[in-house]
Amino acid sequence: MSTLGFSEEQRDCLQEIINVAMGLASDKLARFLNTFVHLQVPSIALVGASHIPAEFENRYQDTEAALVSQGFFGNEGVRGEAIVLYQMENAHKISALLGYEVGDVSEIEMLTDISSILTTTFLNGLADQIENSLSYSAPRVLSSVKGDMSALLKNTSFHWEHALKVDISYQLIDHSFNCDMILLIPGEAVTNIQRILDRILEDY
Amino acid sequence: MPHAWLNSPILAQLNSGVIVVDDEYRIHYLNAFIERHASVQLSEVQGKSIFAVFADLPEAWLKRKLMSVLDLKTPAFSSWEQRQYIFKLPHLRPITSSSQYMAQNCSMLPLSSEQAEQPLICILIEDATDAFVYQQHLSKTLIELERANRQDGLTKVLNRRYWEEQLKQEIHRSQRYHHPLSLILFDLDKFKDLNDKYGHLGGDFVLVQLASFIGSLLRDSDLFGRYGGEEFGIILPDTSLDGAIEVAERICLAVAEYPMLFNQQTIRVSVSMGVAELIPKQHLLHDDLIRCADMALYNAKRAGRNRVCSYLAGETEYQKKVN
Repeated sequence: MSTLGFSEEQRDCLQEIINVAMGLASDKLARFLNTFVHLQVPSIALVGASHIPAEFENRYQDTEAALVSQGFFGNEGVRGEAIVLYQMENAHKISALLGYEVGDVSEIEMLTDISSILTTTFLNGLADQIENSLSYSAPRVLSSVKGDMSALLKNTSFHWEHALKVDISYQLIDHSFNCDMILLIPGEAVTNIQRILDRILEDY
Repeated sequence: MPHAWLNSPILAQLNSGVIVVDDEYRIHYLNAFIERHASVQLSEVQGKSIFAVFADLPEAWLKRKLMSVLDLKTPAFSSWEQRQYIFKLPHLRPITSSSQYMAQNCSMLPLSSEQAEQPLICILIEDATDAFVYQQHLSKTLIELERANRQDGLTKVLNRRYWEEQLKQEIHRSQRYHHPLSLILFDLDKFKDLNDKYGHLGGDFVLVQLASFIGSLLRDSDLFGRYGGEEFGIILPDTSLDGAIEVAERICLAVAEYPMLFNQQTIRVSVSMGVAELIPKQHLLHDDLIRCADMALYNAKRAGRNRVCSYLAGETEYQKKVN
């Protein structure tokens, strides 16, 4: 992951916090879905938000993909927008696990549910560790069509300075499920996160 | 069960619904917004199951949502765009909305409180009827706009631009699936004389009447459009030349026997029709097929009007004027 003003200690600390958050999320999901959830250690990277569209353009170019956005805000200036990107075939897999039947709910509702669960379980785990608590706005599906992913990402990431990319790969007992999560955060949130990381580091 | 910490004057004044239930879906609290809209009293429904009090709730769906809130300790959401309402409540805009019930955005939040013994969920209900109404107006307008974009203003048949687009698509389909496709172009005979005799209002009247009458003779799958002035086109999918000639003859006869009453005067008209069938390797563009039908139409005019002529394969020149 690029440094973007993060010291090596801060970087390691953040990676560790995210690993734990992901572990908490997968544990909760496993219990909720009643199935074993194995989670790979997520690789993270902190980049300028303007680089995001190009990075994801190739991966989602020729496939039916969905992009769901959900805002989050907590104390001490921790706020941002969580974007979950996935290929639709993956979304169909997990919808079956969530107990949806075909025709039961609209595809949009299914997408927002999945994304909201992934985002909020993960971010709650993250917030707990930094002694924060987050509120969320309702998730919005920005797109579920082919090919316009990069334009949408461009419009969405335009408002933000930094982006924390988190590759999420869930392995459910019979299924594997991949998606990308991008946390778009403003400059002052990065400063705040650094301060929180320093505080955690001091405690050790 | 009553929770003193929920009895805040702000919750009572809030212009959104607040309902608090426990992990067995029993109602612990609801605010004045819900009391008034649903005509219930907190004192009467406290401790009862939310599904007993609000009998119309989508029970399985809501239980799954609430369960995820309890299990994952994360909020769940529902938008009016996917589910117009969860609680059947009247709204306060009876005239402007076509819907009887309040459109709602709902948030279901895990409630952690040291005062409560059981896990609680707060259901927040926001009135989204305004957004719903705007959205409906917008959808309705877009549908009208789309129709206006396809229709000829005077005769209400397809306009030329849209009709030609359809022709291109039908040609494409016909070539892909090897189905026959035919085209009729026709022209109202001596339209100029009609205009001179009855005025432009009379001419317009005849075009409108004729379009509506011919439209009633066609199949649903036929595509009827105004090509320009007094010239019209009919796309006949899945129809060979013989079938198309039959249709054209039938229309031609019916029009000649269809009197129209305008300002107490009976107007009788006739049409000349040209028919052509798509020849897959020859007609690569829709213009090619139109040109063939137009050539046949020209021949029908030359041969004395009020008749049908068909395009013969290989024909490249207009017939010499008869007589």
